[in-house]
Amino acid sequence: MKIWRTCICFTLALILWVFFYDELVQVMQQWLPIRGKLLMRTPLYELAFQHMLLAGLTTAMSLITALTMAVMVRISSNPELESSLLSLATMGQSLPSAVIIALAVPVLGYGNGPVALALYLYGILPILRNAIAGFRMLPSAVVQAAKGMGMSGIQSLWYVDLPLIWPLVVAGLRTALVVNISAATIGATVGAGGLGVPIMAGIRTRDFILLFQGSGAVLLMALWADSLLNTWQHRRSY
Amino acid sequence: MSIIEGSVTIKGLVKFYGQHMALDGVDLDVPAGCCMVLLGPSGCGKSTLLKTINRLLPYDKGSIYLGQLPIEAFNPTELRRSMGYGIQGVGLFPHYTVAENIGIVPHLLKWSKARIDMRTEALMQLTELPVNYLAKYPKELSGGEAQRVGVARALAADPPILLMDEPFGAVDPLTREKLQTAFIDIQKQLKKTVLFVTHDVDEAARIGERIAIMQSGKVLKDAKPEAYLDKSLDPFIYRFLGREFPLSLLSRYTLNDFVAWAIKSHVIAAGTVANDGLQSLKSVLATMLTHEDTTYSMAVAKGSTESVSFESFRAFILEVTK
Repeated sequence: MKIWRTCICFTLALILWVFFYDELVQVMQQWLPIRGKLLMRTPLYELAFQHMLLAGLTTAMSLITALTMAVMVRISSNPELESSLLSLATMGQSLPSAVIIALAVPVLGYGNGPVALALYLYGILPILRNAIAGFRMLPSAVVQAAKGMGMSGIQSLWYVDLPLIWPLVVAGLRTALVVNISAATIGATVGAGGLGVPIMAGIRTRDFILLFQGSGAVLLMALWADSLLNTWQHRRSY
Repeated sequence: MSIIEGSVTIKGLVKFYGQHMALDGVDLDVPAGCCMVLLGPSGCGKSTLLKTINRLLPYDKGSIYLGQLPIEAFNPTELRRSMGYGIQGVGLFPHYTVAENIGIVPHLLKWSKARIDMRTEALMQLTELPVNYLAKYPKELSGGEAQRVGVARALAADPPILLMDEPFGAVDPLTREKLQTAFIDIQKQLKKTVLFVTHDVDEAARIGERIAIMQSGKVLKDAKPEAYLDKSLDPFIYRFLGREFPLSLLSRYTLNDFVAWAIKSHVIAAGTVANDGLQSLKSVLATMLTHEDTTYSMAVAKGSTESVSFESFRAFILEVTK
């Protein structure tokens, strides 16, 4: 299947990049501009792993929060709840991450904390919007049948509603994760780890190779995550 | 062992939707094992009545008793699991196979996997679906097949009471007739208490052991289908059933029923077996009317035929509908 093949390609490309970038640079030495010998304190693959954890865990938290909010909207009889939660989530996305980071540093200190907060807030909206839309699109006969045959509210959510909206939720998760992978690079400005480190270092020292090291990895990681979630999303179509 | 008994007794049921009175003092008595059809025009309250029985809708006054106990004696979720529920759109879960769909209520009731599998296979036989359909998904089924799965799903936990809300409404007339025949056979075997909502007079005439006609939230009449041939009917009922209602009643009987009576009344020789005995008397009548001397020649064993006259046919009808 095409989707699977793309995913495997990107997995291989990412692995090759983060493990063998230095070798690649050596091979290309003669065509590249002369630069001083710059060594990274942390190897690229370790930075890539930190980056994955940073983006992955925060987006997972966004998933849990967004799903909880969507279920709350579904269960409640209050029509206002949906618009207020959506507004909150929209704020999380429209506030520039740089602002969130700047405001969070006095509270959370330097390091991964501020950027983790920014990523978490950012990821909620796409998932929440998709989950709410998914609940609305459930066929009414299915919902009626589930209730009429004796499923409690929780059983209905577990056996019927959530499995049926899952492809849509994964689509939202995909959007959130891909954006968060690139957004996580900003954290390096306040001491976070991850692939933002070589990027920031490259910007400061005007070293294109270093910059490319980081941004190439970010690009490949984003494409990889996207294709991975794409395969998950398309596993079942009803 | 089910937590509820099979009979349904409704007294003085009233339900308001805001100012509008959806149920206006409904009294209905459905004995155990009876297939009661709730017939009426759109908006008469028949679906609403059905939904109050399994507590999908609340009511304002009156009582609903299942056997000796009121429906309030049960937790709503438990109550619904003890009743089969079939609706017009079927509502099969698209992400489950046919087997998983049928087995869902037994699963909720924590039956063992072996018991569920056995039950599912038995239900496939009962609803005349091939066993290899068990692994199929709802989107691979035709409308009629999906509805059969719906019936199997409603029967899965062997509930004493079935609530059916226009279950055969969403399919074409030919499929609907086949589904009705299948349902009649199943009901003959299982003898469940069924409350069947429909607005189709022919369907009611075929399926119902008793027919309760509703209008504007009230039950106007509750009687056996033959009782609706009475000349002194309420004019609304007469108009609603239509002047062709006696013909609809004919589809309740098969040629075999007629042959059995004819043999007993010495109209034809004992031991005669019609080849096409399962056809409805409505089609027999149609054949008779287009035959030159309005007799009916039925093909019997060994290539011979037996003829019966229209008069004997009519005598049978009058006898049975007395």
